[in-house]
Amino acid sequence: MAAHEILAATNAVVTLDVALPGIVWPWLVTVNMWAKSIGTGIIFMLFMLLKMYPDQAGKLRFPVTVVSIVFIHIFLLFTLADLHQPFRMWHIFFHPHWTSAITVGAWMATAFVGLLFVLAYLSFIKKDNVAFDKLLTWIVLLAIPVTLYTAALMSQSTARELWQMPTESAQMVFAALLAGSAFMILLGGSKLNYEAKKTLGTVLGLSALMSFILYMSEYVFGPMKAEEVAFVLEYIKGDGPYTVMFWLGQWIAYILPMLLIVLSRASRSENLLKLAAILALAGLWLVKHVWLIIPQLLPMS
Amino acid sequence: MQLGFLVDLHLCMGCKGCEIACKVENEVPLSTWRLRVKYVDVGTFPETKRTFTPLRCNHCENAPCERICPVSALHYLDNGIVNIDKERCIGCAGCVMACPYGAIYIDPETQTADKCTYCAHRIASSLMPACVVACPVEANIFGDLDDAASNISRYMQSRTDVQVRKPEKGTNPRHYYVGASQVHLNPLASKREEGYTLFNKLTHLPVGGQH
Repeated sequence: MAAHEILAATNAVVTLDVALPGIVWPWLVTVNMWAKSIGTGIIFMLFMLLKMYPDQAGKLRFPVTVVSIVFIHIFLLFTLADLHQPFRMWHIFFHPHWTSAITVGAWMATAFVGLLFVLAYLSFIKKDNVAFDKLLTWIVLLAIPVTLYTAALMSQSTARELWQMPTESAQMVFAALLAGSAFMILLGGSKLNYEAKKTLGTVLGLSALMSFILYMSEYVFGPMKAEEVAFVLEYIKGDGPYTVMFWLGQWIAYILPMLLIVLSRASRSENLLKLAAILALAGLWLVKHVWLIIPQLLPMS
Repeated sequence: MQLGFLVDLHLCMGCKGCEIACKVENEVPLSTWRLRVKYVDVGTFPETKRTFTPLRCNHCENAPCERICPVSALHYLDNGIVNIDKERCIGCAGCVMACPYGAIYIDPETQTADKCTYCAHRIASSLMPACVVACPVEANIFGDLDDAASNISRYMQSRTDVQVRKPEKGTNPRHYYVGASQVHLNPLASKREEGYTLFNKLTHLPVGGQH
């Protein structure tokens, strides 16, 4: 008898039940996470460039602030769109429940947006770089929990064990660094020289490498013993329904950008760096989407 | 007072009276359920057995849905019931994601989360939950777990096979089963194939009629 055959005594089949809910958090939530990674990640990158290449990065203060504002608003817009009662969003501010990562995240994101507008005022109207840089330090500190709170939220989703991996916080930070460096490579244009872009490429490549190692360690090579996690991971293994999307994501977000960054260093090609950045941004969406969807396919009852 | 629920699966015969009573009492919309009875057939013909499992909110002592709710729409009552305020709910579905028992759904009419409340409105009027009243074999036993003389406490003290669903989640459910096997308690212990089965078609539903 083949090992996978079911013994007669243990053959159990659901013969009458209700329909189970389908995907509860759909692609809107993927866009939410993807946009937040760019919105906070690019702030990290501006801070780094201002320390390492102050002459060049100075010209990026206002454009980066605008990009961050735009993507944080995309994040907020899609969060709102995913609510079944979006017009009650104000309840989070007037009836906050502080044990919820959703509440804490909403308040932090709101403060983050407010401070971004102050940055925009300082860079575009007041043109005060000293004040901008001082405030930026505090905003970078706030951007860290804004990046991480999604991991806290997912870990509160007790039913979905795959989202409760201890490394999810690290994955969120790597996603922000990957998305931030990729977007900065594209935004830098003629304002950044090759050395600055090479540094961004290093951040992009290392973030991709670390994320890839974590995914492979946990999903592919890690001997998951928890029944529910093992069940969920079947969706990305063999001929599982999300296997193709999972591997496409891994290749487009991590493997190809890493290869292109190595090639760009060998040939000093900015175009290869840009291609790596575009692929990383597109692939990150796929990676996040698979991670979001597969635990929701687990039957809970 | 800490209210709890116990289902003696030796007694349950899968009549679905509790399911219908709940639907009527709470005006649960079509395609959604606060309480349902799941049939699982075990074995291979002709050596087969049909199991029945009533499934509802477990009113956990450490409820993940209460913790994740950003606006306290899900909240504890003094009697231990995890209640829901549908006027407060913003429909983020965090509770749906957090509940390890799949007991919360998005009401397609109100677009808010909803679930079994142990008929909190009936309890407030000193009435039993509708499902308890409807059960023809008294398989549903409801009462105060803090009162050692209550029916549920005495029932639990007299049995050695009292179990809860997914104890490893650390939720401390206040919903107990007697006479349960893995097939009753663990959804992964049975196959769930989409398609026509006994009387209906097992499938998945779009959530809340949106997205």
